[in-house]
Amino acid sequence: MRRAAKSTSRFLRRFWHGLREWCGDAAYEDYLRSKSGQMSTCRRLTPAEFYVEQLNRRYSKPNRCC
Amino acid sequence: MKGVFSIVGWTVVAALGAGALGSIALHRGEPLNATWFVVAAVCCYLVAYRLYSAFVAAKVLTLDDTRATPCERHDDGRDFVPTNKWVLFGHHFAAIAGPGPLVGPTLAAQFGYLPGTLWLIAGAAFAGCVQDFVILFCSIRRDGKSIGQMAREEVGERGGFIAQLAVLAIMTILLAVIGLVVVNALKSSPWATFTLAMTIPIALLLGLYLRFVRPGRVLEASVMGVALVLFVVVAGQWVADSPSWARVFTLSGVALAFTIIAYGFAASALPVWLLLAPRDYLSAFIKAGAIFSLAAGILFVRPQVLMPPLTRFIDGTGPVFAGKIFPFCFITIACGAISGFHSLISSGTTPKMILRESHARFIGYGAMLLESFVGVMAMVAACAMPPGVYFAINSPPSIVGSSGAAAAGTISGWGYPLQAQTMSDLAHKVGEITLWNRAGGAPSLAVGMAQIFSSTIGGERLLSIWYHFAIMFEALFILTVLDAGTRVGRFMVQDLGGRFWKPFGRTGWMPGVLLSSAIIVALWGYFLYQGVVDPLGGINSLWPLFGISNQLLAAVALVVATTILMKMGRLRWIWVTLLPMAWLVTITMTASYQKIFDANPRIGFLAYARTLATQIAAGKIPAEKIAETQRLIFNQRLDAAVTGVLAAMILVLILEALAHWYAMLSRRKESVLHESPYIATRWAPDFSGAAHGDD
Repeated sequence: MRRAAKSTSRFLRRFWHGLREWCGDAAYEDYLRSKSGQMSTCRRLTPAEFYVEQLNRRYSKPNRCC
Repeated sequence: MKGVFSIVGWTVVAALGAGALGSIALHRGEPLNATWFVVAAVCCYLVAYRLYSAFVAAKVLTLDDTRATPCERHDDGRDFVPTNKWVLFGHHFAAIAGPGPLVGPTLAAQFGYLPGTLWLIAGAAFAGCVQDFVILFCSIRRDGKSIGQMAREEVGERGGFIAQLAVLAIMTILLAVIGLVVVNALKSSPWATFTLAMTIPIALLLGLYLRFVRPGRVLEASVMGVALVLFVVVAGQWVADSPSWARVFTLSGVALAFTIIAYGFAASALPVWLLLAPRDYLSAFIKAGAIFSLAAGILFVRPQVLMPPLTRFIDGTGPVFAGKIFPFCFITIACGAISGFHSLISSGTTPKMILRESHARFIGYGAMLLESFVGVMAMVAACAMPPGVYFAINSPPSIVGSSGAAAAGTISGWGYPLQAQTMSDLAHKVGEITLWNRAGGAPSLAVGMAQIFSSTIGGERLLSIWYHFAIMFEALFILTVLDAGTRVGRFMVQDLGGRFWKPFGRTGWMPGVLLSSAIIVALWGYFLYQGVVDPLGGINSLWPLFGISNQLLAAVALVVATTILMKMGRLRWIWVTLLPMAWLVTITMTASYQKIFDANPRIGFLAYARTLATQIAAGKIPAEKIAETQRLIFNQRLDAAVTGVLAAMILVLILEALAHWYAMLSRRKESVLHESPYIATRWAPDFSGAAHGDD
């Protein structure tokens, strides 16, 4: 029983992480984890700056299909 | 022992699939249950994925997991982000799944359920999935380069230029045709128009929230947005019931076309965070929900498929669009089996986020299988309604007659019994003024979906809500493609114009932004307007044009893929991409020739122009209609020219590729492969991406 509860909670946690990644909710966290987010030479973007920059980049090339 | 179980298991799956396909193909008489379609499709997909994609991965591409992928080499947290394969599958599927696999099969249902279903399954397994998979692999090996860049490097400068032109052409026709689908879905429907109009202020609200209140918190904003959208679907009924408000939201086709054109311009010129992106978030959630609900609904309700396997319209006299089963069934299905546009996604964002080369099989091949399954479900939904109703919704009045009684008589005369009263009752039940002459696929698919959903929840009482939910879902994500496409088109126009006048190419320069937005909107807006005023219904000329341009782009992608395989020394296996390419070239060329030169005015653009010119010369057109008819003649000639240019482009590219291949094979030219150099991965074999890296 405890094992089932544990694996369910693990599945739900992974699902939640996956959902946040899929919809872009975790994009800023990914940026902070990345090399450029950790580089001390570059100024780290704020969440608002990163959000706008990311959208401008994403919607300048085909990202939705017919 | 495990191997034996595996062989037995896969033999059972294959036998089940073959049995279900046999039932679909050979069944005659009584209506067939939709479960057979689901079983046939799922079993075929499983076998194709297990055997064919594994063969392509191991023998043709020889995927190498020891090689670092672009996201490991360039990890910048922006474009190059290591992503879990399930998450990336979701990303990739959300990007490739557009209105095509829903609308195309719905229109192709006029030939009966059989040809479309077979092509959806076989075309995806042997052509569409292979294209997506191979192009994704090629792009991964080239640091995420686009199909245009790969064509330029591997085939030649001209190949790259043609690929770029093809993208702009397909974009223009695509945006016009999907705009037309929305116009026909919203025409004379205050409920649907109100619901869709309200998604704009909702998106603006979300945009402001995501920009200033909680930057980047997409999930919570989307939950609020989806709740508001569902509320306005219900509220639309109150608007439709109020005579004064209903008048405001009851728009003609032409008025809707201009509204959509103005919307496209605004979405392209406004900051992306304000309107475009929040609409895209809303659309992604509603699209995923509606597609999974439709699959669940079909499995739960198991509706009877009432359309015959083959209709009398395989001879080319179909009312929805004219043309014989070959090549028009394939041109019409387009994206559900193979879509050239996917090569832009497979060589765009996805290769920059993929963790390992082996994931390309699951993401490239697997996501396209799922898209094909969406197409099969759309086919089931369209074929589950009585054929008479299907033809009544999708036929223009110039074919069936302008009054209900006349149209019902014509359709019954074809052998698909229909009473005019049936259509009035159905329109009343779904909360519409009329369902006659609503070609474009969206209303008939919405009726099919609403019947499936209401059989699961709510019964006939909720039929109107489900119908408008389905219309909102289709129109919302069609408009998302339209606004995202217009913006990308704007960048292409600026890029092109910037070569002649530098300031025009600056994406932040407002006059350049406004002018380039106006140019791209005028391009697709012209074709949209032409489709709306076309007496043959617009879909008859625009959808085949869209199909031809889409399949042309797929042929371009497969030419690039074949060239790369050749350069990799996989000559023995080039048939994997060469055969689908040859098939696409055959259908594109045949369809192009027929659309330009066929003597039947409903098929051939030039024949239709000649017929109209003869009518003017014979004095059969009233004086007040002569200017309008002359515009129609010009439009037909323009469509013929566009088709001719598209066909000529593919011919030039193929000749260029053939010359290139001959030079390589005869060793007159050194074959240079432009792959990024090999760098070994430093990631542990169990590393599964950022999302789970913390676990």
